[in-house]
Amino acid sequence: MSNNNNREPIIICRGVNKWFGNFHVLKDINLEVMPQEVVVIIGPSGSGKSTFIRCINRLEEHQEGQIIVDGIELSHDVRNIAAIRSEIGMVFQQFNLFPHLTVLQNITLAPRYVRRQPRRVADEVALQLLARVGIPEQARKYPAQLSGGQQQRVAIARALAMQPKIMLFDEPTSALDPEMIKEVLDVMKELAQSGMTMLVVTHEMGFAREVADRIVFFDEGRIVEMGPPEHFFSNPQHERTKLFLSQIL
Amino acid sequence: MSLPESERNVYVAPPEPPPSRRPPVTTVGVLGWLRQNLFSSWPNTLATLVTAAFLAWFVQAFVRWSVENAQWGVITNNLRLITSGLYPRAEIWRMEVTAALLVFLTGLGLGIWARVARSVFVIVLIVLGAIVFVPLIGARIPEPTIYVLIEPQRTPSSFVFLGYRGQELRVELDPLTDLDDVNTRQLGYVESQSRATWSTQARAAATGQLDLADHNLELSVRLLDRSGSPVAVRGAPVQARSTPDALGGSFTVELPRDGWYVLHVERNDEDRDNNTGYAWLRIDGVELFSSLEAAAIARQAEYGPPPDVERPLFAEDRAYRFEGTRTFGEFVSLQLAPFLSRIARESFIGAALFANGWVIGTLGKHEKRVRRAAILGWVLAGPVILVILYGVQGSRTLPIVTTSAWGGLLLTILLTFVGITASFPLGVALALGRRSELPVIKWTCTLFIEVIRGVPLITILFMAKLIVPFFWSALSGLDLTVRMMIGLTLFSAAYLAENVRGGLQIVPHGQLEAARALGMNPFLTTSLIVLPQALRAVIPAIVGQFISLFKDTSLVAVVGLFELVGIVDTIVSGQPIYRPYQREAYIFIAIIYFVISYAMSDVSRRLETSGAGSVRR
Repeated sequence: MSNNNNREPIIICRGVNKWFGNFHVLKDINLEVMPQEVVVIIGPSGSGKSTFIRCINRLEEHQEGQIIVDGIELSHDVRNIAAIRSEIGMVFQQFNLFPHLTVLQNITLAPRYVRRQPRRVADEVALQLLARVGIPEQARKYPAQLSGGQQQRVAIARALAMQPKIMLFDEPTSALDPEMIKEVLDVMKELAQSGMTMLVVTHEMGFAREVADRIVFFDEGRIVEMGPPEHFFSNPQHERTKLFLSQIL
Repeated sequence: MSLPESERNVYVAPPEPPPSRRPPVTTVGVLGWLRQNLFSSWPNTLATLVTAAFLAWFVQAFVRWSVENAQWGVITNNLRLITSGLYPRAEIWRMEVTAALLVFLTGLGLGIWARVARSVFVIVLIVLGAIVFVPLIGARIPEPTIYVLIEPQRTPSSFVFLGYRGQELRVELDPLTDLDDVNTRQLGYVESQSRATWSTQARAAATGQLDLADHNLELSVRLLDRSGSPVAVRGAPVQARSTPDALGGSFTVELPRDGWYVLHVERNDEDRDNNTGYAWLRIDGVELFSSLEAAAIARQAEYGPPPDVERPLFAEDRAYRFEGTRTFGEFVSLQLAPFLSRIARESFIGAALFANGWVIGTLGKHEKRVRRAAILGWVLAGPVILVILYGVQGSRTLPIVTTSAWGGLLLTILLTFVGITASFPLGVALALGRRSELPVIKWTCTLFIEVIRGVPLITILFMAKLIVPFFWSALSGLDLTVRMMIGLTLFSAAYLAENVRGGLQIVPHGQLEAARALGMNPFLTTSLIVLPQALRAVIPAIVGQFISLFKDTSLVAVVGLFELVGIVDTIVSGQPIYRPYQREAYIFIAIIYFVISYAMSDVSRRLETSGAGSVRR
């Protein structure tokens, strides 16, 4: 079921709880994300932000609650999981590029084998995406020959090749040199402006202020506060939020 | 904060960075390398000198032994047995076709996929050059002396040999009359039975049981042609005599024509029972001829059958043993040259096929059709070769040759090849199964792996031979060779599974997550992402396992199959003539194993460093 209506949320989380063994890592998360919305999730380490977004594409399994993506409920049914994963693209902190394949092959692998796209079509799309992220000349190189910022941009292109409706970013710039953070953030900015629904876990406050439609603050497994950046940064309501912002700004 | 400005560390670099320079010249070329690596410190220098001295001594001792004393005939005379076992002579052409096919495919494969070092071509050219020139040189070197012991009881006797027109023959009767005669070692070919008798008599003479001075035989030796009539020179028959009064006699003659000749030795004294004595019959200028069946057939065709005489002693190389120390020239002419001329034809055809394959491969390297044809060739090679070697029921060109007749190097390579190709997928499957989340699969695979790894290979081979038929009566008719292949495959697969499992653990978890996030199912993830990285990481371990398998095939000799070690064992322990030559035989096998194992580990090293093998992170 595809959702063309801009008023229906594309991601719905209701009462999501998760445990790692006995440790209660996500406590009653309720969140709705609208199509084309850019949500930036911030918070201290161990607050459950990464775990939360990994639950959305089933890299982690939630034990209680509902997660509904584009009308499909995330359950144990493998078909549901596969359908949801085909609509979500993910970018990791450690890039996770496939080192034994060239950049071009990294991007075209999934479209060719999962979507059964013919090689020529996949290659063309890949080259366009590489141009979009700004590194078309690196197509034949191996990931180890690229800088960190270039690798992360390839990772973004790889995720985009599957034409997802939603992009998840798990601290995409945390492993990068300061000089390279900007090039990756620029790509993400352009992506946001083109209308992609994005969930971004990050520590980059400048990016959050500039690009986010909504900031979500996680702490100790629950959402403490959320709101548009103008209100969130200038006028935090919760004590915990005020404490956090005073430390980082 | 209280330091004055001038003492604070303020520094601004010039706008352009300084140019990069070369490092200081402390090492100059070869001497520099030697200085750094071998002679850098006193302990290092000492170790270098000791090792170098040891190596020098060992190498020269080995080379001297193999040139001067070793009898390589045990190998060269039995080449066919060693390479193909008991394969019927009439069907050898099938083996040659198989070898030709493999050589061509190897050349093709190397041309397309590998960078063959120039040194390989140089070596091949040198070997081919040796094959051409060494026999030519060898032909110019004079033959060593032949010794036959004349015993009182074993006369008359006839020494039958092939002579050539213009060949200068010198024959001498040399009676043994004192201990010095006996103790002088003969330098040349000594007939086997003569040798045994001589060593006994030498001992008897030394202990005083035999009185050599009591020599009263009257011996004569005459040169006859193949029909039995004496050869005459200027009217006088060619002969020599040795009597108690005139000890020792000799003659020299130039042979008039090609063909068979006989040296007929007789006793002329009357008192057969009381007269005694020994004498060496020394023959110079005669060449021992090859005892190989093929050579015998060729000889017959050219010179006719050998003459029919009483108590014949043929100048056949199998019946003679080289005594004393050979010179290098003799080594070349007696051992190296005949061997090289025997392998000459096959070597050149093989080299030509290999070169053809390599050229085609190199020229067609980038063409898809050529690559596809090469892959297809290799894939089909296995079954095609099996059909060629085994045969087809009822066919006249390819009659069935059961695997019990396969032996020697052929069997070793076959067992290794089947073992490798069958155990690789099985091992990977076991490794993946052991990591499975389904308990039944996981425990079955684990049990299988641990049981097989806990049992020695020889036990598994015996089990394959004896127990397998119990489980399934349909399998009892299974060929012994196939049973051994199964045993070797299972054994290798278990070890391979553990190696692959190690590789699987190396693949970072993030790779799996990325693949899952992209929507790839477990099968795609494993085959496209995990296995390529895992296998590349453990190439050294996997190839090491294959090298072990290659050498472990020698164990089937215990079960009753005659692969390389088994057949050589049969040769040196079965045929009394070759029994003293165990050293040469086993050294030869060791060299073969080493060469092939080294080639395999070289392939491993190339795989690791090539684009296919390197997973740079």
